[in-house]
Amino acid sequence: MFEAFRDVVSNVKGTVLDREASLGRPVIGVMPAYFPMELIWAAGGYPVQLWGNRLPLVRVDAYLQSYCCTVGRSILELELSGGADMVQAYAFTSFCDTLVNLREVYGLLFDKPTFELTIPITRTVEAKRQLLGSVISEVLEGLERATGRKATPESLAEAAELFGRTRALQRRLYELRRARPGLVPSSDFYTALKAGFFLPPAEYNERLGGLLKAMEEREAPAGRRPRLVLSGMVFDPMEILGIMDELGLDVVDDDFANGWRTASKEPIGVGDLVSGVTDFLFNPAPCSCLYNPDNDRHDYLVDKARQADADGVLLWYVKFCEPDAFDRPQLIERLNREGLAATFIEVELSMTNFDSIRTRLDAFREMLGG
Amino acid sequence: MTRFKALSRMKEIMTDYYVEAKTTREKPVAWVTSGAPVEFLFAMDVIPIYPENYAAMCAANHQSLELMEAAEAAGFSQDICAYARTDFGADITQGGPVGGLPAPRFLLCSTNICKTVIKWYEVVARKYDVPLFIVDTPFLHHGLTRELIDYTVTQMKHLEAFLAETLGRPFDRERFLEVLQLSNQASTYWMKMLELGRKIPSPFNSLDTFIHLGPIVTLRGTRTCVDYYKLLYEEVAERAARNIPSVPGEKYRLLWDNLPVWFKMRRLGEFFEERKTTLVTTTYANSWGNYAHIYQDGSGDIYEPIAAAYLNVYINYGFEDRIRYLASLIEEFSLTGFVMHSNRSCKPYSVGMYRMQEELTRLTGKPGVVIEADQNDPRAYSDAQVETRLEALIESMEAVS
Repeated sequence: MFEAFRDVVSNVKGTVLDREASLGRPVIGVMPAYFPMELIWAAGGYPVQLWGNRLPLVRVDAYLQSYCCTVGRSILELELSGGADMVQAYAFTSFCDTLVNLREVYGLLFDKPTFELTIPITRTVEAKRQLLGSVISEVLEGLERATGRKATPESLAEAAELFGRTRALQRRLYELRRARPGLVPSSDFYTALKAGFFLPPAEYNERLGGLLKAMEEREAPAGRRPRLVLSGMVFDPMEILGIMDELGLDVVDDDFANGWRTASKEPIGVGDLVSGVTDFLFNPAPCSCLYNPDNDRHDYLVDKARQADADGVLLWYVKFCEPDAFDRPQLIERLNREGLAATFIEVELSMTNFDSIRTRLDAFREMLGG
Repeated sequence: MTRFKALSRMKEIMTDYYVEAKTTREKPVAWVTSGAPVEFLFAMDVIPIYPENYAAMCAANHQSLELMEAAEAAGFSQDICAYARTDFGADITQGGPVGGLPAPRFLLCSTNICKTVIKWYEVVARKYDVPLFIVDTPFLHHGLTRELIDYTVTQMKHLEAFLAETLGRPFDRERFLEVLQLSNQASTYWMKMLELGRKIPSPFNSLDTFIHLGPIVTLRGTRTCVDYYKLLYEEVAERAARNIPSVPGEKYRLLWDNLPVWFKMRRLGEFFEERKTTLVTTTYANSWGNYAHIYQDGSGDIYEPIAAAYLNVYINYGFEDRIRYLASLIEEFSLTGFVMHSNRSCKPYSVGMYRMQEELTRLTGKPGVVIEADQNDPRAYSDAQVETRLEALIESMEAVS
């Protein structure tokens, strides 16, 4: 069932080159996080999402300090090592300090165009709208220059439908997992999600639709094993998901930036693109990088864990991710106060030894009574 | 380092400032970031407290390590900004030179120095259950634009309404205009003083300017601040007129990019002095010269120059603009080289620095070095490694003619 997704994830470059040729659309590399794929597709591009990778970090040391997170470092390593030759341009958001500066580093190092969807972090509603109006126009112009095509109301509507459908299908997969814990091994679940970073939307939707059909007919295994909600930026390294499967930990939901936080987003309203993109960026799931006290992250995670009938929350901390690191102590305290077990693991995308992670997860499993 | 007569006055001012903040019963206290538009607060008689300034004081007093360890024991990762960790520790233990900071009534932060401050202040807002107002000042990838000024002005007008609502009284526009003028004047004296560094030999050392930053950071917008920088400027100007150098026999003149290493000020001062090297200019101290045009008398929108000043901050610039600016400093201050502090605690300042170093050398022909350190965390600093790199730089420079 998951083989087709595994093939994509294990051969990203081949997949992208092949689809680029058949689509006839230039590849646009999409940096973390929340850049609407819809804008790229509508402007004639083929968005490929870059959430970091498992490359050994060799060349990047000459350009980025070791205290930058391995998401940013591995993405730059990919370009430096020639692994992203097919990428014609890069789409950034102003997600965090490292990524804002990384765009500037790309500007000094490479000739490829870059554009940034600047995310307004203000509670002044009028200002937010003011800025996003000009930012969206600028981003679309940049994309159109890179692709040589124009975004039109029709192409925007088509893109909104396609990617809205992707996320709806992903949400169905999440629902099934919540309702039938243990139905899907975590490593397979996230492989299915990850394939969507690289495949064109229509093809991905078709595959995901097929997967869902097969999954709907399956029953969850009997008995209850410890149930977890995962929270963090990216669900890599995926070896850790395999360890969870081996240890009998059922992931019942997540709060990953490249997982549920994105999958939960409704189709972008393209009639009023500024409102549509604002809603897309800030709703429904909160994010440690996007200040929004109207949608409190603590309350949200407590509710999420309860709704999923989880026994605990595991914070998946990519080392040097300051936004997650700042949130952690108060968040763990709150979760514990609500009677939810919580701990964290510290990961790097380039890590190769998982012994200490396994030990920590095993201890957490025991704590949860598994 | 140079011992200025004005130093004792500065100590009095800073003591009075912290004593008032700690003891006041009448005035509200707000915690603010170093790049926040503090003029709005002084207009409403709010005492602004700068956790960054306090963290720097703790490190200069060699107290940052114990405070950071307290924060880490409470669960804060060593990966987060050492200023934030120092302040969290000071808050937990009520430690540091003035025994912790007075509790805030509200918080004001601006993103022109980093996005880290948002996270830092979110933690404080949760702990004290107080409102946080953010003035978002996006990164200037392509310089200052009309759209960014409009965006910032709209938020500043909202800030006035926020202050009026939070404090239960109307925003004091008349007082605000006075405060803007005072801010202008203090920053003008500050910049005039810094520009005296063009003189060969330099009458001051940038390590001195780091020490004398206190009032321009914390009291910008007050008469006290203007009077202090007038005093300091006059003293430095007199030294310049009398040709008194900060470093006798000055041979080398350096630019320092990024924050100081607060806990190594004395040692670095001695290191450079022994090698006849003066730190002449810094991007960090220069940042507080931004406010010298914050008030434009007479015509035009009063908010636009304020928005421009708070957007147009060095670490909010795109890299090409940063490199151009650094090159202009090297030229104007007759520098023989430059030092870039790759600061583990400050990603906006540091990420991309390696490439900037190469570009700057290519552009100016001057040698530069990147040192790996941290503004506040002694565990991320090695005397031997840093000094070896600095030695190599000094050996590669041509002495000033």
